[in-house]
Amino acid sequence: MKKILWICAVPLLVLSSCTKHIEKYNDETKRPVEVTGGPLLTNATINLVDGLASASVNTNVFRFTVQQWAMTTYQDEVNYDFFTRRIPDAWWSRYYKDVLADLKAAKAAVTAIPDKDILPEVRANQAAVIDITEVLSYSILVNSFGNIPYSQAVDIGNVFFPEYDDASTVFSDLLTRLNADIAAITPAAEGFEPAQDLLGGGDMAKWFMLANSLKLRMGMTLADIDPSTAKTAVEEAAPNVISSNDENVFLSYLESPPNSNPLYDDIVLGNRREYIATELIMEYLQGWSDPRIDQFFVPNTSAGEFAGSISGKVSTRSSFSLPNGNISNPTAPALVFDWTEMEFLKAEAIERGFAVEGTAEGHYNDGIKASIFWWMVNINDSAEIDAQAAVDAYLAQPGVAYATAAGDWKEKIGTQKWLGLYNRPYEAWTEQRRLDYPVLKEAFAPISGYPNRLPYPAIEQQVNGGSYTKAAAEIGGDKVEVKLFWDIN
Amino acid sequence: MCLLLGTAFAQQRFAVIGKVLDSRGDAVPGATITEKGTSNAVAADDAGNFRILVNPGATLNIAAIGFTAYDVPAAAAVKVRLQNSNAMMDEVVVTALGIQRSKNSLGYASQEIKGDEISKLRTNNAAAALSGKIAGLEIRQGNGIGGSTNVVIRGFKSVTGNNQALFVVDGIPIDNTNNNTTDQTTGRDGYDFGNAAADINPDDIASINVLKGAASTALYGSRAANGVIMITTKQGKKGLGVTVNSGVMWSRIDRKTMPDYQKEYGAGYSDPYDEAGFFVGDPDGDGVEDYIVPTSEDASYGAKFDPNLMVYHWDAFDVDGPNYLKKKPWVAAQNDPRDFYETGLTVNNSIFITGGNDRASVKLGYTRNDDKGSLPNSRILKNMINFGLNYKITDKLTISSNINYSRIDGNGRYGTGYSGQNVNQNFRQWYQTNVDIKEQKDAFFRNGRNVTWNWADPLADPSELGPIYTDNYYWIRYKNFETDQRNRIFGYVKADYKLTDWLSLMGRITVDNYSEFQDERIAIGSTDIPEYKRFDRSFNETNFDLLATVNKDLSTKLNFKALAGVNLRKSAISSTKIGTSGGLVFDDYYAISNSVGPLSPPIELYQPKRVDGYFAGATFTFDEFITIDGTFRRDRSSALPVDNNAYNYYGISGSWLFSHHLENLDWLSVGKLRLNYATVANDAPWGIVNDTYTYLDNTDAVSLALFGGGAVFSLPSRKNNQVLKPEQSTTQEAGLELAFLKGRLGLDLTFYKVNSIDQIIPVTTSTATGYSSAYKNAGEMENKGIEIALTGKPVSTPNFSWDINVNFTRNRNKLISLFDTAKNLLLATTQGGVSVNATVGQPYGTLQGKMVETLNGQKVVDADGYYIETTTTTNVLGNINPDWMGGIYNTLRFKDISFGFLIDIRKGGSVFSLDRYYGAQTGVTVDWAGLNDLGNPKRDDPADGGGIIMPGVTEDGKINTQHVVKDAYVALPVSEFVYDASYVKLREVVLTYALPARIIEKTKAFKSIELSLIGRNLWIIHKNLPYSDPEENLSSGNIQGIQSGAYPTNRYLGFNLKLSL
Repeated sequence: MKKILWICAVPLLVLSSCTKHIEKYNDETKRPVEVTGGPLLTNATINLVDGLASASVNTNVFRFTVQQWAMTTYQDEVNYDFFTRRIPDAWWSRYYKDVLADLKAAKAAVTAIPDKDILPEVRANQAAVIDITEVLSYSILVNSFGNIPYSQAVDIGNVFFPEYDDASTVFSDLLTRLNADIAAITPAAEGFEPAQDLLGGGDMAKWFMLANSLKLRMGMTLADIDPSTAKTAVEEAAPNVISSNDENVFLSYLESPPNSNPLYDDIVLGNRREYIATELIMEYLQGWSDPRIDQFFVPNTSAGEFAGSISGKVSTRSSFSLPNGNISNPTAPALVFDWTEMEFLKAEAIERGFAVEGTAEGHYNDGIKASIFWWMVNINDSAEIDAQAAVDAYLAQPGVAYATAAGDWKEKIGTQKWLGLYNRPYEAWTEQRRLDYPVLKEAFAPISGYPNRLPYPAIEQQVNGGSYTKAAAEIGGDKVEVKLFWDIN
Repeated sequence: MCLLLGTAFAQQRFAVIGKVLDSRGDAVPGATITEKGTSNAVAADDAGNFRILVNPGATLNIAAIGFTAYDVPAAAAVKVRLQNSNAMMDEVVVTALGIQRSKNSLGYASQEIKGDEISKLRTNNAAAALSGKIAGLEIRQGNGIGGSTNVVIRGFKSVTGNNQALFVVDGIPIDNTNNNTTDQTTGRDGYDFGNAAADINPDDIASINVLKGAASTALYGSRAANGVIMITTKQGKKGLGVTVNSGVMWSRIDRKTMPDYQKEYGAGYSDPYDEAGFFVGDPDGDGVEDYIVPTSEDASYGAKFDPNLMVYHWDAFDVDGPNYLKKKPWVAAQNDPRDFYETGLTVNNSIFITGGNDRASVKLGYTRNDDKGSLPNSRILKNMINFGLNYKITDKLTISSNINYSRIDGNGRYGTGYSGQNVNQNFRQWYQTNVDIKEQKDAFFRNGRNVTWNWADPLADPSELGPIYTDNYYWIRYKNFETDQRNRIFGYVKADYKLTDWLSLMGRITVDNYSEFQDERIAIGSTDIPEYKRFDRSFNETNFDLLATVNKDLSTKLNFKALAGVNLRKSAISSTKIGTSGGLVFDDYYAISNSVGPLSPPIELYQPKRVDGYFAGATFTFDEFITIDGTFRRDRSSALPVDNNAYNYYGISGSWLFSHHLENLDWLSVGKLRLNYATVANDAPWGIVNDTYTYLDNTDAVSLALFGGGAVFSLPSRKNNQVLKPEQSTTQEAGLELAFLKGRLGLDLTFYKVNSIDQIIPVTTSTATGYSSAYKNAGEMENKGIEIALTGKPVSTPNFSWDINVNFTRNRNKLISLFDTAKNLLLATTQGGVSVNATVGQPYGTLQGKMVETLNGQKVVDADGYYIETTTTTNVLGNINPDWMGGIYNTLRFKDISFGFLIDIRKGGSVFSLDRYYGAQTGVTVDWAGLNDLGNPKRDDPADGGGIIMPGVTEDGKINTQHVVKDAYVALPVSEFVYDASYVKLREVVLTYALPARIIEKTKAFKSIELSLIGRNLWIIHKNLPYSDPEENLSSGNIQGIQSGAYPTNRYLGFNLKLSL
């Protein structure tokens, strides 16, 4: 009988010995509990740029808003319908959840490295890189929605349902942070590993230039509402911004998904063939025999001609120009800051009387040159001599030449900048709202007035109702026509 | 066989003459006298006399309603006196941990069903065969081949957790997870790979007992919080027994559960296209422009059919086809998608051999079930082996073991949801009524190419000719199919030791181990990106149990039973998922190495878990009429924070057999009252305590991990919680059992209320927090309901009997609270903007979306005569819970023939049909064509008397009488496509003929031969969902109430031959 008891006791004995640290069974062994800042920065950067580059109707529909692209069949987004596909939810959640949350964790990881393991200037550089990326991300959110959660945002430990902050207060704090970041950079010292730093390639001098380029852009955003702050920021930043296409800041995508250009995933792999040129962009491109027309679009299949469609109207695909496949190559670069943008900002600064080197016309001409060179030389591999000839011929036209082009400086710069920001839809939308040129056509069957902002995400109404209601009241209603704080003209 | 014949030959049968009397000496008419272990039986006449031929050494079993059955050794003359019994309820049932109890002493509800009732149906899924038979049990089974079965007892209790009942086979808890993806369960795309309880062999089941409430299941711990389906398998018996079942079933689709296609209008989206709704071109180059069907348009709002109009159809562009560059009349197809479905065939064979002597018994069974579905190229093959051994080594020590092996090979499971791999997405939503499915078949089989009707551009160069949205359906089935395999072993080894006559010990190790493999392919030439992906997963669980049981009479009137034990559970899930990237390099070569692009790292999971528990229970029975039970269990789980990882369960139940005091009431055979109360705690899902980083993208579907040379990691979307505590639920239950007229009529009535609190829920947060959700202990859900089981025997004569079983279930579910101010938790969203939600104050699973504005309950139309839609998306359009469910089972027996049929009823509950929603925008079904109330074609211009009226009122409340255009561009609000999911089904019909004893005798080999004619799902007697089966779902789980690309019902008809040797 003893034997029997012993037999029965075996399972108990065998097992009771292993249960000391029962919680260990719940440990995740296939995912890391701790990571360094680099991989988090990489992920945040990919998500940040993917959003700007995408043409998916679920992600980034600003190409339709600024009327550079139209659609053949489904017209919801072209007619300003942001609700059906919950675009504000996706845009908001991308920048908060997939970018800012990771940047915050990256910052914590960088700070957590013991002092002895890292040089103080490298730590400061890494912190600055993260913070600049945060400033860029928040600037996208604030310029998209208006008032947004900021002081209580990305703080899950304390706040599930954050309140919204005033947009101009947020903007001003972002500029303060950016100034501090620029001051903290030691260009000669190391930052992140080159492979983890997709925008700067580990080069802090590049980050110094990137930060100043962002400062120039953000400073100019305030030019109408707060000219003195704008003047200071623009004048401080201008000497240190991108000044050639070689210095352009972009994400270099890889050959295959998930790391290929989002336009490749959408248009080529996703077999989406419904994007076509608009009538509006064709008027400008054809009217001035723009050398970029071949870079932007291909002739229609029915007649072999360039043709653009009315925004928001059902159109037969074969009758209109499709986007050139150069932007939907898997490795097509996605620009974040470029020479073109900087030149137009400088031209504008001089027109506004800010102390920036050069002339408005010179910077205007350089902006056009930068864009034509980018498309012809960097993207299409044409000879520089051909590109220069194309620039010269283009600028020689009275409608293009700064002295003779139609309208005031806002119209001249606004129109050319809109062309220069082709395939940079979010920036094109922001600058069109700010400069109000070119004048866009009314969409064929719009569901609202022109969208000056995105409506708040539907899910905010459902889960963060109190904060949402307050914010909506403060900005003058959660409507797309409501203008942002800097959009006063 | 020689041996068997020899044995049979040696037997010399003799006649027994006998009489059956009751305790007062009066004759008992109609008693059944059976030779034990055979089907040889006779009935006593009105005077209680009988005569039966039996083998030497036989035992007779004498049974009669209202009396305790009695065994007596066969002798030339037999006289038996039967004792009045408490009839049918005085039976022994198996309760938690396999403990056998007299049903009269149970203080909680349980309902038992015999294995025969399952196996005679020849179904390959034991769970599905329970539908309509058990009060309180809701079964939902989709129509796909080998699909998962949703098994929910007493309603959904957990907001986001598992609500499925636990399957326990001979004490072995069986993992019943389905691994269907979120995309699959919410109607995007994927396959329903079934759930693991399908590995239980229906032929091996001796009985199934359904334990419904917490008081009955508390000993199993938290996994049993949703009730237990407890299966006891067959055991070997003394002497040799061989049972062979051989059955064949054919299945055809029920055409009423597929669209009825209109035959008036063909391809197009209400657009003139080049001319008159056609493309115009000159394919044959004769210089004359002709009409071409707009092949790229996947709708049927096009040109009116006209047999005199000759046009180029899709097949005019199939270079290998007989109609290449030939015109055909513009007419509706002869063969519509219903003809795509083939006759399914199931061949089922099983053999069970049992044997034993005084000390040992053994069983060995093998079942092979070969199921060819009604979709081309679909097959599920199951092979199952069951082996059981029981050996009484000494009078005190018994060792037993049970080992089960199953292997399931799937090939071509049905693609589900809104997917190119689901043919019904097209058949129901995006179809041209001019496309003949037989011609599509010929086009594919001519040379195996993807010859679609849906050319992107019919005039394109033949080398560029390709599909725009839809592949040839035969291409889909024969080229883009999945395969899968699951190998499983589960079983136990056990030792029982009888220490004294009142104390026994049991030690047991149970193992459940399986590995599965699933792969999916998209061939080069399909509209989707060619790919190959595979998913490998293994699961194992080991339980170590030690149990001591006491059974002692403390006095002549007081019996004491007790048990105490320990249960140690270890389990682990391990899986890898990987797929090709950016396409395939070579045709018909399906391996990960055939990837065009570099591979993303595989998605790996490893989830070990450990739960240790100890438990005790005590039962006092006083004078066999009052029983009080108490149980206690304490578990410690690895899935909870270490400071809060232990939790307790308590259960107390009592029963009072009040009929014991009313023995003088002749009409009342049994009267019993039950009461119980129990609390159950539950641990958390694995891995939600500590935070980790992820390498997956924000849909959790693609692994990032590397961008060139740089690692990529991210915070997950869900915040974990290090201060979680266990979930709690409390159950109160009261029941009444009555039997009348010596058991001819029985009633079992149960009321219950279950409140689940402190649920572990991923609370939806503002995404400005950087997360979509965060785990919290929050929320309360309540389920309360009534269960009624009625049994009757309206006729009982020696030659003819009629048994009827009725059960009824009504459950009311309500979400009482969520976290803090949160009012809604989104469970799923579908296309069309319908969501499935858990909303405070509402039943679980409300369907929400935009709806038509109403005025005094009437739908409102605008000045143009079209419905006005609300802007809010939170309108409750319905909920997934039925109002009530019921089943009626009748068995009629006439001599050697028995006939049984089951009517299965569900009343209420809602289903959103994406099929009908899109179908209305493509006009494929008859209801979007035909004549209007004025007798004119609906599709004619309202100015010419056509159009339809949207039923409702104008904004000033007047009845709407305006005719409006309903074409491809008029989308109706989604609320118009939420339907009542009620049904009444003739679920089962079984006609069995058992060869009479005198014929069996002559065979000298068989103990019995039974031939059955079996029908399943033969007739949907009533439903309110047009063109579909309201029961059809995408998958088991918490997301119900959505139909997208729904499969039609299969009607099964076949026969089975059962031989016992």
